[in-house]
Amino acid sequence: MPPPLQAHRLLISHRRIPTPARRRFTAASSVQSAPAMTLAPGPATSSILSIRESLLSGERTAADITSEYLSRLRRTEPSVRSFIHVADAAAEREAEELDRRIASGEKDAVGPLAGVLVGVKDNLCTANMPSTGGSRILDGYRPPYDATAVQRLREAGAIVVGKTNLDEFGMGSTTEGSAFQVTTNPWDDSRVPGGSSGGSASAVSARQCVVSLGSDTGGSVRQPASFCGVVGLKPTYGRVSRFGLMAYASSLDVVGCFGSSVFDTATILSVVAGHDKMDSTSSSQDVPDYASELVSLDLLESKPLNGLRIGVIQETLGEGVDNGVVSSIKGAASHLERLGSVVEEVSLPSFSLGLPAYYILASSEASSNLSRYDGIRYGRQVSADDLNGIYGESRANGLGHEVKMRILMGTYALSAGYYDAYYKRAQQVRTLVKESFKDALERYDILISPAAPSAAYKIGEKINDPLAMYAGDIMTVNVNLAGLPALVVPCGFVEGGAAGLPVGLQMIGSPFSEAYRFSYFREPTNYYFCRFIQGNLLRVGHIFEQTLQNFSFVPPLLAER
Amino acid sequence: MLSAAAAASASAIPRLRFATQPRLRRPSARSHWLRPLSSSSHVTPAAATGAGALEPPDLPRLANAARISLSPQEAEEFEPKIRQVVDWFGQLQAVDLQSIEPSLRAGTGTGSSLREDKPETFANRDAIVEAIPSYDDPYIKVPRVLNKE
Repeated sequence: MPPPLQAHRLLISHRRIPTPARRRFTAASSVQSAPAMTLAPGPATSSILSIRESLLSGERTAADITSEYLSRLRRTEPSVRSFIHVADAAAEREAEELDRRIASGEKDAVGPLAGVLVGVKDNLCTANMPSTGGSRILDGYRPPYDATAVQRLREAGAIVVGKTNLDEFGMGSTTEGSAFQVTTNPWDDSRVPGGSSGGSASAVSARQCVVSLGSDTGGSVRQPASFCGVVGLKPTYGRVSRFGLMAYASSLDVVGCFGSSVFDTATILSVVAGHDKMDSTSSSQDVPDYASELVSLDLLESKPLNGLRIGVIQETLGEGVDNGVVSSIKGAASHLERLGSVVEEVSLPSFSLGLPAYYILASSEASSNLSRYDGIRYGRQVSADDLNGIYGESRANGLGHEVKMRILMGTYALSAGYYDAYYKRAQQVRTLVKESFKDALERYDILISPAAPSAAYKIGEKINDPLAMYAGDIMTVNVNLAGLPALVVPCGFVEGGAAGLPVGLQMIGSPFSEAYRFSYFREPTNYYFCRFIQGNLLRVGHIFEQTLQNFSFVPPLLAER
Repeated sequence: MLSAAAAASASAIPRLRFATQPRLRRPSARSHWLRPLSSSSHVTPAAATGAGALEPPDLPRLANAARISLSPQEAEEFEPKIRQVVDWFGQLQAVDLQSIEPSLRAGTGTGSSLREDKPETFANRDAIVEAIPSYDDPYIKVPRVLNKE
């Protein structure tokens, strides 16, 4: 099957008479734009597709779909608290406008994401909504522009329903670091949703919105996806424009996304990915239609992953990782073997060095990036007698504890006399980490590991021990150092909460392997050989998800009616 | 050095085994991931002892450089935590990084694309102005810059 080489920015229209033998992946039933209210096990369906089908067939209106999501949001928010800001009136207005355009028969009224409610992490700028970055220093700030990723979602017809909670400026792994509120895990309200994109993950998990945007600097999309039982994608560095993302560490930040299915996540990626002249680090590589290769089960052979070589990262299944997590990952590996792949253990040298290197690099870059929050041009200003006083007092008053700590650590690591000892060494470790991934990904198509050493822990458990919190990032930071793409797909449960706590499987690929790729290598006879690589993350993740029986990743919170 | 280690582990990759063995209680994530790197293949014995005689962080000086006014209570609270993290950073001193090139970025091949050096007017200037806390058209007001006698 040839890869899609053209850049399809819009979904192929699914308005057609379905012929069973050639049906592409689609919703199980078009009435089911609501998530399964029963906890009956079964693979995820695409909410985006079922919304689209309902709108095109006239079966439901956008206003109806929006009000259903909003009422679920209102019902669950007192417990989950995913949103710092909810734009319900604007969402209802946009839905009505969409219905008007559909009813008047306007061509192109139904864009690829028409009627799809999206949550946006509050460190992504939205022009008509407050954007705080989770910090008091930007309380009430309204940016003058939309982030490119947000703008592209809007152009595709998505409805931004609100801004989701996060650890301040992306610094943290629990969302407890927000200056505004603590978000809880929809699976157990005494536990954290993960971080820093905790609000985005919990909003999708609690089906308060269809999909959401987050950001991932050291695991901030993947770890909450694992904790909340949703799909989370960290794209290749440069795949999605960072324009409008409040910078934390510019060489590590990426804009990522959450969905309740791999198909929905792939659809969002197609819409937001692509070169942006406003971000000079964005890639010019073509954007394929990521979802078009995600076909329904009946179109796949019995061993759809035949020939795929998968490496389980040895260092992520040893000491320090919960038994329940290890057995979930091993179960996932068995499942992947049954689908035809070859799964082996692989060791990544320098794996554990990545964690201190990451924190040095991230703190250093943050100390520079956050110097813009000075109380002069935007945000909260505390008055003082002189300019330095304004800086000092505004920042002291507006920035939170963890942010101050990281700025101070970064300032230290970059200061004269210490640069070589810390920052430069961390950059050298970065080279080692990149090389070891590159070596492993030459021998394997995909690497797998957990996204975190445990499932969601209790709120307050790590709050006074920074190193304990940092330790939990070990599974994710190396991927950011190397700029690789990674997909997290729910794969099992551990004990805890009312119905268990979800565990996610992290799949890592080489750069831009979200879709198919070719690789050229030289045979010993000096002939160049083109080998078709099967290791594309979204396809593998989709097949894994669709063939996973006996699990339902809808939290019990939603079964209450 | 790197390829030798990789080659060694490549030849020793076992097939994934799923035998359910009884497991002893594991150490916590914290105690495992944060221990010193005595087992790292890059640590030379000489470097592992006597790691760096770097000055500990001077919090008032750092706070001044970062333009954050720290209250004495905050400084007291931060000092041990920052020292703890910086000590943990120190484990990189023990690693042999001779002849390893530093990486400025991930290097996923995203080239630097420059646009034409032509000024473009930003459409929403009003919103920028509205966000300024202390504005006196066309100036952004600040108190005196220098406070010296």
